[in-house]
Order: sequence, then structure tokens, then C-alpha cells
Amino acid sequence: MDSKQIQQKWQALGATVEPVDYAVSGYDFSVGLTGENLRAFAELMLREGFYLVDLMAVHVKPAVEVVYQFAHTGGQRCRVLARAFVAADGTLPTICDIFHGANWHERETRDFHGVVFSGHPNLQPLILPEEDVDLKPLLKDEKILKDVAAIRRQPPEAPAAAPKAAEPEAAN
Amino acid sequence: MNTDVLQDERHHRFILNMGPQHPSTHGVLRVLLEMEGEYVTELEPVLGYGHRCHEKIAEYKPAKSFMPNTARMDYLGALIYNHGYAQLLERAAGIEVPRRAEFIRVIVSELNRVQSHLLWLGAYLLDLGAFTPIMYSFDDREQILDILEDITGSRLTYCYMRVGGVCKDIDDKFVSRTRAFIDRLRSRYPIYEELVNGNIILQKRLKEVGDYTPELCARYGVTGPLLRGTGVAYDLRRAEPYSIYPEFDFEIPTETRGDSWASYNVRYREIEQSLRIIEQALDKLPEGEFLAAKVPKKLKLPAGDYNSSVEAPRGELSYYLVSDGSDVPYRLKVRTPSYSNLSVVPEMCQGMLIADVVTSMGALDLVIPEIDR
Repeated sequence: MDSKQIQQKWQALGATVEPVDYAVSGYDFSVGLTGENLRAFAELMLREGFYLVDLMAVHVKPAVEVVYQFAHTGGQRCRVLARAFVAADGTLPTICDIFHGANWHERETRDFHGVVFSGHPNLQPLILPEEDVDLKPLLKDEKILKDVAAIRRQPPEAPAAAPKAAEPEAAN
Repeated sequence: MNTDVLQDERHHRFILNMGPQHPSTHGVLRVLLEMEGEYVTELEPVLGYGHRCHEKIAEYKPAKSFMPNTARMDYLGALIYNHGYAQLLERAAGIEVPRRAEFIRVIVSELNRVQSHLLWLGAYLLDLGAFTPIMYSFDDREQILDILEDITGSRLTYCYMRVGGVCKDIDDKFVSRTRAFIDRLRSRYPIYEELVNGNIILQKRLKEVGDYTPELCARYGVTGPLLRGTGVAYDLRRAEPYSIYPEFDFEIPTETRGDSWASYNVRYREIEQSLRIIEQALDKLPEGEFLAAKVPKKLKLPAGDYNSSVEAPRGELSYYLVSDGSDVPYRLKVRTPSYSNLSVVPEMCQGMLIADVVTSMGALDLVIPEIDR
């Protein structure tokens, strides 16, 4: 797997790609997705030999953000965090027909954050009992809810000139 | 005898509940099975009986004080869960760990892994109806618990690691006892091999039962000995080297068949590899501090998100922490290996005999508290 090539493929789907320092963060790439390109991204990841490590949500302003973590078994380290905000109606398309393992993760995220994954075949409570279906225990109170900017990594003191601007052209 | 019942097709299929209290689920797991005679037509695990809100608890107290909780998720790999969490906070706060501390961490983590595999070996064979092997494996496991109890103070739910190192240094007694244990366990291999591994009944029950492929593993996120049972040499100690694992010479055992026998053998062979790591770590054990001096009491984590992945006895363990700059995590997610490994069961066990469901689920080496969290 060529990390340059894979970045270009992600960008071709309309995703924003940001390489991250593994020593600081514990992962290699941060990928920004939307509800539209999420499924195409998942299909690409399966074709490229990635597996779904984890799927979880973080409650921030302006909307709940769902985080997908992928890693590669092919020898070279490549750990990817892909993020997508839920749509205004609280939904995101499911990826559990692509990565079957997402089935339970999505049910759990529905339990804890109330994210509805459209197209999921069985979005029943998994970890919580059925009577707690509307509990959504990991949603934050308004008082402690943070803006998404507050949980993003601050750039290091000396901001490196953005080298990313040139890359979308290379994708064509 | 009322033969009408047998004639009526409606009675051919029935629902069976395995658990929540069933000896072969090793915890409070319920598996709903739809049966046709002795064959399973469909099955669905039902989770959540042991949910203890660990992720919610994490959002309400300083990140440092979550350490004891990590041990209570996978009670068999507690030190490895400690290790992953300590590494997460060190990465986030940028704390250097003394070299001696890393050696101690690796030694105790690998002892913990051997202990976990030995428990699985005995309990799995017990599930299959072989009573004797657990006597031997628990005898060996007990030696590890005694060694670890001496330095950590506990026998199961360890809270030994700290941000920046470990809470207590190891001494010469620990080193000599661990060396003696390695020799002892190696001298016991012939017993296991003659009593268990070479047993034709065991082989017939495990071979070609619970088949799975690398593709299935990728779709479900299956990792650990199960994945290595399909020939994929993926071990985070090598694939994403952490701590001081790159300094050691060890193999990643793999098998190719992808059945219960394959994962059985992978786990059995991993015991020796862990012993090799421990041996090398004891040989190279440096002098020095066992805990970093400059760890602030109130450990503020810079805003951002952090991930820490380690190889637990059952596969990939990942902690993912989102920080808003305070000392309390904004969100902590624990990715536990058994969760993904169990999710493969509905596809893997369809059409099986119920006795083979016990075999294939036992081969997953499940720890239920880490699934429910």
C-alpha cells in the first residue's frame, strides 16, 4: 500500500485529508467525510485491505461527530481516523453492509448518542436494555457541551506553511 | 407417545437460550439460537448484562484515576490494559518513560499474557469435556499469579502501572522467581503436548470446525490469535511497535487453516514466544528509575484526540481519548478485541451442530466484561 496513492484516492472522493504525527496522536491520517461520501470511502477502505477498528461518536457543537477508525494489516503502519458530522436530522448512512463489524458499533452508538444510521437492518439497543432506548447517556448537558474547535489539536507554535494546497491537482 | 407433535412441522424449529448463565459463555452472555433439531439455523448474541458504564465514568474524573477501571474490563489481561492506558496518557501529555519502567512493563505484560492463555487453555478444554488439563494449566497459572501478587499486590485486577512508569520496582527475588517459572513451564510442554495437543479426539473436535477466512476477519475487525490463525501475521507488537518491543527477538506464530484448531495452536505457541520476550527483557534489564519524576499531580492533556493501540491477549485493544485541554477526558472510547471477535459468530456458526458452537465460541477466547464494558 502506497500512502501517497491512498491519500489521492481519498481526496478524489471529496474527503479532506490531514497527515498527523503518530508520535503525538497515535494515528497517521485524519480524514474529514460527509454523509455523501462516507459509504464510498468505506468501500474504498475495504478494497484497499483496511479493517474497521472502531466506530464511535463524540458530542460537540454543532452536531454529534461520528469517528471511524481504520487500520491496515499489510505490514506498513497506516491508522486512519475518519470523521463525519451527523446530518441535521441526526442520521448518517450505515456502513454495516460493507464492514459487517460496524453493525454492533452502530447499534452501540445509537444507544449512547442517539445517532440513527439509515439503512441499518436492525437498529435495536445492544448494550443498554430496551427500556432505555431514549436514554442516550453519553450526550452532554448544554452546560458542558464544547464547541468542536475546543477539542481540535492546536497547531504547534511555529505554524508550518500549509503544504496541502497543491495536492488536489495531483489527484487528477 | 403423541406422534402428532413429531408430525407437526411447526415444532421442528425452536428457540434455545444459551446463557445468560451458561458455563461455556464464561460470563454473563446470552446467545439466542434458532435450532432445527441439533443444528443451528440462526444465532444472535445478546449483550449488555454486565455493562458498567466505564466510558461514562471516564468523563467524570481526572484521566489519571481511570487506571483501576481498565483492569476491570479484561480481567485476564489487566496489565496489558494498564499498559495501553498509561501509554495513551503519556502520549497525550508528552511524558518520557524511564527505560527500566518500560522493561518492567513488558515483563509483567507478557507474564499476564501467558497467564491469560493458560487459563483459556484449561477452561476451553473443560468446555469440550476434558477435565484433567485445567488441573495442569491452573497449577502453572498460579505460579504467575504468585509472582505478580508479590509486586503488584493483587492477583487479578491489577492497577500496577502509572503515568510515567510503574508504582513499585521489581527486585532480585522477582527476577529469580520469574526465571524459575520460565524453566518450569518449559519443562511442562511435553505434558501438554502428550496429554492434549496430540489427542486425536481433541483434534477431531477442533479441525475444520468454526471456519473463517481473512476476508471475514477484515469485514468484522477480527484481530489477535484468530486473525493469525488464517495466516495473517498481524501483531501490533510488530505492526505498530510500541514500548520497547522492537528490541526483542520473537516470532509471530501463524496457522493457515482458519478454524478452531488453528487459533488453538496459535495461542499455544504464543506462550513460548512470550516467555522468550520475558527472558530477553530480564537479561537486558537496565538499572535506573521505575517512575518518571516529573509527572504533574494534575495532568492536563492538551486539546486534541489521541489513540493508543496495544496487542492484548485476545487482539487489538485501542483507547481513543478526546481532550478539551482539561485533566478530565472529554470522551474516552475503549475498543476491545472480544467485541469485534464475537460479532463474527452469527455468520461463523450458522448451520453448525450445537456442540460445535461451544467449540467455535470457546476458540474465540471471550472475556465478556470487556465486551459489555
